[in-house]
Amino acid sequence: MSENTEHNAHHGDGHDDGHHVNYFKIYATLVVLFLISVAGPELGIRWVTLITAFGIAVVKANLVINNFMHLKWEKRLMKWMLATSVILMFLMVAGISPDVLNHEGRNWENVATREWIAAQMGDDHGEGEETMLAEGEVEAEPAGFSAASSFGTVCATCHGAGGAGDGPAGAALDPRPASFVDPAFWEGRDRDRIITVIRDGAASVGGSALMAPWGALYTEEQLEQMADYVMSFRPE
Amino acid sequence: MAHARPIATTRSATGIPTARLAVWWILASEVVIFGGLLGAYIMHRIGHPEWAEAASHTQTWIGAVNTFVLLTSSFTAVLAHQAAERGNGKEAAKFLGFTIMGALMFLVIKSYEWAGEIMAGYTITANTFWSFYYTAAGLHALHVIAGAIIMGVVAFDAFRGRELHRVEIIGIYWHFVDVVWIFLFPLLYIAK
Repeated sequence: MSENTEHNAHHGDGHDDGHHVNYFKIYATLVVLFLISVAGPELGIRWVTLITAFGIAVVKANLVINNFMHLKWEKRLMKWMLATSVILMFLMVAGISPDVLNHEGRNWENVATREWIAAQMGDDHGEGEETMLAEGEVEAEPAGFSAASSFGTVCATCHGAGGAGDGPAGAALDPRPASFVDPAFWEGRDRDRIITVIRDGAASVGGSALMAPWGALYTEEQLEQMADYVMSFRPE
Repeated sequence: MAHARPIATTRSATGIPTARLAVWWILASEVVIFGGLLGAYIMHRIGHPEWAEAASHTQTWIGAVNTFVLLTSSFTAVLAHQAAERGNGKEAAKFLGFTIMGALMFLVIKSYEWAGEIMAGYTITANTFWSFYYTAAGLHALHVIAGAIIMGVVAFDAFRGRELHRVEIIGIYWHFVDVVWIFLFPLLYIAK
């Protein structure tokens, strides 16, 4: 019982025991806000999505923190302690943001990221293309597609620039990435199968799930070009 | 009597009960952990328009159901606190039990969701979006698991009328886990 008394005594100074939150009302409000945050983005209007998804998240978090966690009734010291933490977190993010958000600065350009994005975006993703064209740096037209350059950004990390399965990210994989210069690899494999694996992932033909499906990146025609490029590694 | 208790659990220089101060300290450090992770995610998401394609594969309705489950479990956690304040340990234990069930339901739904995604080839190494997806939601899920275990211990004691002040402490932690998900849900599932 002593804990209880102690608890109540503490409550006297930390909390004002006179606060009677109607928890059910808070909960009902949270549920309604939650429903709006799911329904709002369905409209597909950008600013409505931002407000309903993120604006409401802030309101919901606020309701929970103040009423369920009782921060409203905590001493000012506690609020400052938390505020310090939040401010430091924002400082950290703000400090990193110029490097991550931008792909170029006064004296530098992140060529690899630029090329990666260009290769990933292909030709028919309207919104992103607009952003990139606005920057005037990357051409994202169909004519700009090159299987060799896409292989360099998408595949080479694991399969290696020369297709020998020796890319830097592949070293740690088990099974190791396929080597396209190995004659044994080509036994029983044809162009159609290469296309299928690039599009649907190796798991689709009973291979390793580590070879992810990349179909979303390419049109059917580009898939064929990618397969032809992979075939070009095949030893005679 | 409090004769056998270590001094640190009973004294309070700030006037705030030590346990409550301690849990808020933990949460202050969690703010930086989750804040840093989510901040990095948001920056990458804005800097990489091609992520929209990967993000479109997350299943909104599963995320939505889990949001509802966590909100509800937060509600039962605060009801447990209310019961503990009235000195009703059995009632507090019952509501903590509901909260634990919410945690389990959340984890079952998450496992179902992840199993489907992993089998479809969307693994943690598929690309950077999925790396963030599994890291952020995975770190959160670890918090859910830890919270459920601690809540079990607290409920066990509360049922016997012991250490009732702990009900509030674990509740504060649990609400924080809920708050993190409140932000994860729109970030991973809605902003497509």
